[in-house]
Amino acid sequence: MCTDPAGHFGSMAALGKNFFNLVARGTLSLPSHHARCLHGSAPNENSIQAPVSKPKSRTKCTLIPGDGVGPELMYSMTEVFKAAGVPIDFEQFFFSEVNQLMSAPLEDVAASIRKNGICLKGILSTPDYSRTGELQTLNMKLRRELDLFANVVHVRSLPGVKSRHTNIDTVIIREQIEGEYSALEHETVKGVVECLKIVTQRNSARIAKFAFDYATKNNRKKVTAVHKANIMKLGDGLFLRSCQEIAKLYPKIKFESMIVDNCTMQMVSNPRQFDVCVMPNLYGNIVDNLAAGLVGGAGVVAGASYSSKCVVFEPGARHTFSEAVGKNVANPTAMLLCGTKMLNHVNLQYYGDMIRGAVDRVLKAGKVRTKDLGGQSTTNEFTFAIINNLK
Amino acid sequence: MASRLSSRILPLLRSTNAGQLTLSRTAASASVSEFDMQHKNPFAKKVIAIPKAEYGGRHSVTMLPGGGIGPELMNYVREVFRYAGVPVDFEECPIDPQSDGNEDLEYAITSIRRNGVGLKGNIETRSLSRGILSRNVALRNELDLFVNVIRCKSFPGVKSRYQDIDIMLIRQNTEGEYAMLEHESVPGVVESMKIVTAENSERVIRYAFEYAQKHGRKKVTTIHKANIMKLSDGLFLETSKRVAKHFPDIEHDSMIIDNCCMQLVSNPHQFDVMVMTNLYGTIVSNVLCGLIGGAGLISGRNYGDHYAVFEPGTRNTGTAIAGKNIANPVSMLNAAVDMLEHLGHQNHANIILQAIDKTINEDHIHTPDLGGQATSIDVVQSVVKHIQELTKDKNWSLN
Repeated sequence: MCTDPAGHFGSMAALGKNFFNLVARGTLSLPSHHARCLHGSAPNENSIQAPVSKPKSRTKCTLIPGDGVGPELMYSMTEVFKAAGVPIDFEQFFFSEVNQLMSAPLEDVAASIRKNGICLKGILSTPDYSRTGELQTLNMKLRRELDLFANVVHVRSLPGVKSRHTNIDTVIIREQIEGEYSALEHETVKGVVECLKIVTQRNSARIAKFAFDYATKNNRKKVTAVHKANIMKLGDGLFLRSCQEIAKLYPKIKFESMIVDNCTMQMVSNPRQFDVCVMPNLYGNIVDNLAAGLVGGAGVVAGASYSSKCVVFEPGARHTFSEAVGKNVANPTAMLLCGTKMLNHVNLQYYGDMIRGAVDRVLKAGKVRTKDLGGQSTTNEFTFAIINNLK
Repeated sequence: MASRLSSRILPLLRSTNAGQLTLSRTAASASVSEFDMQHKNPFAKKVIAIPKAEYGGRHSVTMLPGGGIGPELMNYVREVFRYAGVPVDFEECPIDPQSDGNEDLEYAITSIRRNGVGLKGNIETRSLSRGILSRNVALRNELDLFVNVIRCKSFPGVKSRYQDIDIMLIRQNTEGEYAMLEHESVPGVVESMKIVTAENSERVIRYAFEYAQKHGRKKVTTIHKANIMKLSDGLFLETSKRVAKHFPDIEHDSMIIDNCCMQLVSNPHQFDVMVMTNLYGTIVSNVLCGLIGGAGLISGRNYGDHYAVFEPGTRNTGTAIAGKNIANPVSMLNAAVDMLEHLGHQNHANIILQAIDKTINEDHIHTPDLGGQATSIDVVQSVVKHIQELTKDKNWSLN
């Protein structure tokens, strides 16, 4: 700037004037929080120069292949894990409601997940009828058993996947042990069936806090509570009130509420306005699927269910895709992303990033795509492409 | 006693909380706004529990780097946690030491409320003007962290005057001389109130005895100055005698603070668990830390009914050595280990503890405050190296 002595004065003056103008117009804010910035960044200059943590020790993980194409997807994922050299050992349980003879007992599966703290799970198909008259499905039983109260689906536009909207990055958090899924239905008089929707203050506050904690941890700016309190004034009203209470503890995160019908419309017309959404059980189920459809369908969205002690990673939109069994066409992306999330959760970021990078590269290149993304490749070809792209 | 005290002060509190100017005559000498700002409720607070931030076995923990060497020490903790695979996510809340406002501090307190647990360096309060609270004290009062626990245990590898010291120091943390109630009644006469309540005394003394019982300690010593402050310290002493009757298998005695300091430097091995009021606690903890190797080794824990905050045992910011790569990271690492034990990650805690032990006692990698030549990074690198060795053929979370 000041190399030319003749231009020195002029440029300085111009700069000064510009600077003044900017400040005066309020477009440039002076660094009033300078000390705070320094505070945050100073320690990085003397960090430890050792290689990234790549432990030789092995971690155990429970594996539930699930129904439909689940076993094929799991096979694909374990192949990728093997090729990447991931230090994870799987404890496999066949767990199914439609194939009851072969299913492992719920207690064993729950005990294994409790012990390991992590689980990868395919989707369990739920029959439309109940053989024993019991209303709870196996999925619900597992969630209740482990108290997996929070379901998180991270809906994110993937590179190379064509869809109506781009740059979607929304997290949908769903309460999943109460609400409409209470499995309390009865016929009071002939022809009149009552289904009880249960909302409790404790669980509503817990899921709201989960959503805000998730937002804090992941540097998200806004939490939207989705409800239908205008109709269900007491039930959803309690949910909404609990969210508002918890929101007071998070002054740096914006809190909004939206009615579920409006939310679904906004989601398809202007999905980028959503950051973190928190909602009761059934709305979550619907919005999860809707949002998954926006970014490429059930084959590419990963999800996870949390209790305080353990996590079950499973695809975000729950479809077994049973018509494709044995056809070698299912998309393993969702399952692979579940795998990377699981690796990050147990501090194996090195491997998580490696697989994540490979998935992104293959999708971005767009040469190998399964049918659901408009390609002609098989599950196997896709898996091999991922393995070839591991770096 | 407490009820009598509270009946005297509570109405006064209510009126200030409501922002009304109808103060009683005693407090009217100090201007209302200052009193209002300075005043902290010295009584036990009833706080409603908020669900803890633990999801899928991972905890969120509030990190307050504080001033001086705090930020660099926190960075070492992060680094060590990364190598030990600790399932803890930090939410960092920096507090600007220059500002007179308390927004940063309020946010930090809210954050600890949400997470339940905090790891903290020493926060500076630069401003000496009367309206500004000491932020460390404000934090403890707001969260009602009524007990401060410091374990002073000798490191065999550190040269010090005494070996094999293992004293548990338990200190009342929210009232006493730190009640921050000072005023100038007439020009040239300043009164500072020391508040002792039966309720808070009993809580902290009960904690001491329960701790002793749980950890197989033999003796609890109450430190006081009841010969001079017959009412306030007398209450503390009376309470401890009363509580001691509920624990017949634990020996109880008492000692006057001045004698205690002398005994500490001449014959520290006679002490087992010590319980005391606020100001004596800060003195005794510094004496003890000095005896076994300085401020850089020992960690302290602050507990309330719902929250826990962990910090280095002696509350010094170390501004003079900040950024010179010579601060001893061990005290903050020990505080982090305490935190892991509190959260229930015993295996991770053990691994880090063993690594620290090997670094200090076997490899003798000491920073200048322990008479060594090593830098902070040397110490942390050695700890990391030991962690990697310890976890070579087993999982982090398995012991």
